[in-house]
Amino acid sequence: MSTLFYILGYLAVAGFFCMAYLKIKSYLASSPLHVRWELYPVPHEGSKTVYGGSFMEEKDWWTKPRHIEHMGDVKALLTEVLFLHATFEHNLKLWVRTYPFHVGMYMLMGGTIVVLFSAIAQILGMNPQGGLMIFVGNIISACVLAGTLCIIVGGISLVMRRRADEGLRRYSTPEHYFNLLIFVLFGVLGLVAWASAPSYFELARTFMYNLITFNFAPQTNVLFAMHLLVGFFLLIWIPMTHMGHVFMKYFTYHDIRWGDEPTNYSTKNQQKIMDALKFNVTWSAEHIAGDGQPKTWVDVATTNPAAPKKED
Amino acid sequence: MKDNLQLKDVSTAEGQMVSIDLKDIPELPVDMHTMPWKPFTDEQKQNTACILDDVCVLNIPMPKNKEEEEELVNKFLNGMRKLFTKENNWTFLPMLETSMDYCAQCNSCSEACHLYEMSGRNEMYRPNFRSEIFRRIYKQYVKKEPLAKWRYGDIGLNWKTVARLGELAYRCNLCRRCAQTCPIGVDNALLAREIRKLFSQELGIYPRELHEKGTINQMKCGSSTGMTPEVVKENVEFIDEDYTEITGIGIHTPFDVQGADIMLLHNAGEVMAWPENIAAFSLIFQEAGLSWTLSSKALAYDGVNYGVFYDDAQTARIALQHMMAAKELGVKKIVIGECGHAHKALTVIADRVIPFEYQVPRESCYVTLHDIVMSGRLKLDPSRNNFPVTLHDPCNIVRLMGIVEPQREIVRKIAPLFREMPCHGVDNYCCGGGSGFAIMTRNNIEQWRGNISGRKKMWQISEAFKDCLGPETRKYICAPCSNCKGQIREVLEHNDLYTKNNFAYGGLVELIVNAMVNVNPGFIKFEGEEE
Repeated sequence: MSTLFYILGYLAVAGFFCMAYLKIKSYLASSPLHVRWELYPVPHEGSKTVYGGSFMEEKDWWTKPRHIEHMGDVKALLTEVLFLHATFEHNLKLWVRTYPFHVGMYMLMGGTIVVLFSAIAQILGMNPQGGLMIFVGNIISACVLAGTLCIIVGGISLVMRRRADEGLRRYSTPEHYFNLLIFVLFGVLGLVAWASAPSYFELARTFMYNLITFNFAPQTNVLFAMHLLVGFFLLIWIPMTHMGHVFMKYFTYHDIRWGDEPTNYSTKNQQKIMDALKFNVTWSAEHIAGDGQPKTWVDVATTNPAAPKKED
Repeated sequence: MKDNLQLKDVSTAEGQMVSIDLKDIPELPVDMHTMPWKPFTDEQKQNTACILDDVCVLNIPMPKNKEEEEELVNKFLNGMRKLFTKENNWTFLPMLETSMDYCAQCNSCSEACHLYEMSGRNEMYRPNFRSEIFRRIYKQYVKKEPLAKWRYGDIGLNWKTVARLGELAYRCNLCRRCAQTCPIGVDNALLAREIRKLFSQELGIYPRELHEKGTINQMKCGSSTGMTPEVVKENVEFIDEDYTEITGIGIHTPFDVQGADIMLLHNAGEVMAWPENIAAFSLIFQEAGLSWTLSSKALAYDGVNYGVFYDDAQTARIALQHMMAAKELGVKKIVIGECGHAHKALTVIADRVIPFEYQVPRESCYVTLHDIVMSGRLKLDPSRNNFPVTLHDPCNIVRLMGIVEPQREIVRKIAPLFREMPCHGVDNYCCGGGSGFAIMTRNNIEQWRGNISGRKKMWQISEAFKDCLGPETRKYICAPCSNCKGQIREVLEHNDLYTKNNFAYGGLVELIVNAMVNVNPGFIKFEGEEE
């Protein structure tokens, strides 16, 4: 039984990365190139970003070197991820509920990374009862307390808002409630495990240590074990749902919303356009492929459906 | 109004699903009345699927029997499958898929949408309403995901769903203000365009103004206005003559000058409806000493590309012809005149649908004009523009291309009483005529533009001029986009706002010419000053 528990742990971690990889791969493979569909402000435009300007404001911009301020993109992504800036600006009522929910998750995710390094340090010989470990343990305790409370309060508030707001209720499906409530359950189990165990950090570090060293020792705290089981499920579940935005947001922002690279600056894209134009098109409307024969995009683009029909 | 509208109603409601109650439409500081909806006739109800709201754009024939109903649904599903293949939709697939998969249903987009707000927050006009129907159909009937009904919500799919979804795609200005507010990067405006595309490219269903009278007409005779090369050259000759007299400066608009630096690409609608715009461009370019030309080759005297509103094939075909005309003339760049969607289609979208070797660099006229004005090549007297001026930001040029400041710097320099609208620049609202609405006619579309889609713009305008509303002060609405001007003209005329508020509207070039010291004074005409 204990071995199964650890196997589930491995599967969860592997499952998360596999699912995330597949989602990203699917996105990248879904098209060799997409049209420019940028939306301003684009944050790598330097001083122009403040008012939403672009390189296209410059006379003969194609004769000038391309200038991108990558730090602008990094700053915008961090602002969005850390503070949920767009929600704050455009949907404050939602932000006060979803921000604690997200911060709670960040705390637990950050805490997990710290625990991972603590377990590695232990493997490398650091005394688990030493001063640094105790210090780290206190930080983790605080993080888990604050994080689980944030998830519980945020999660319940989000459920209530979905029920109370007439507009949101129409669009909320059973899965939306399930997703939120499973997180609340995860938080509640974490909180009661934290409260019931002498040291949550000790439990977590030991589990991580065992996971890394393939030591399938039984869990001593049932609540913590249940907390972890829910966590395993969430790891696999998140990439399978709209919550996959945790990693796909990079692409929706960076590649689409800010994807403004002109073709004259990219020989790679020049080739990609040529490749894409060779795809066969099967649209049925008469003005696309009226004769029913397969055509490439090149054929389509160079056809004039309004040209006089040839006599037989 | 059906105020408890549910998503599933799209497949179950009988007859017209929703009617917008005129009492729900917000009032404005200016006297902009609502226009009563004209009821559909019995004949229309019998023959046409006018089953969404008070408007009917697509005029889908009413299926006569079960077989025709099924045929519509099956064709739709076939099209939807194609929409999700890279061969058929490499242009937009990544954006489409992410918008389908990652929406958290937070509805942050609703408040950003002027249609939702100005319809009195009617559920049907939420940007997410149509998107969510489309997503549910995809997950349940095309992708057939396990537990789709539980996970994504159930939706009935029948001919009514299809017909209503097609119409719903034409209750969006494609301004993408909703996408700008999405915390995740979901683009509900794109979904509206993808639905339009599916209908056009698979089912052959489109508004006649965009297709038959639009892109097809343009490919047939050279312009969506119906003007052939001979007619356009003749008309421009007349414009040159008329405005030589009006301005006191000899104007000569060149055509087909081989090797010129610039090929200017107007929206041909200007030639017919706003000749002063053509004349103003010619005058400014001429006085600035530019090497430039218009093209009389079919299509290259009309920057219009309605394909961008509904059909990728038509978009690419027209953009290619524009590029080819410039290539043939051997110009260094195309300068796109005051037409927003022409900017977006040719500069940004065409950048990745036309092989690079066929491309000619494209520049916005705002940028070219900025260079002319700021370099001091024209003698300008700002006191000639000594009336309040506000600036409309065409979505296609500003939010979707990031060209924000050049036009502002010009206006600041030549119009001392310039004031911004609330929510300007990239936060701007659509004029209400965007995505092809400005050219549509029939079936309450005019009422819809006046009652709902154009209302937020008039709120912005009235706020900008709130200190000087009324007939005493002349005021200029600078709207440097053909479609936007058409929409603004209509609203002003219908509400008699020229007289009541002494408004004039027009482009940026007219404002520049009005300030040119060697031009006869009074190029811009206000109420009561018409000749």
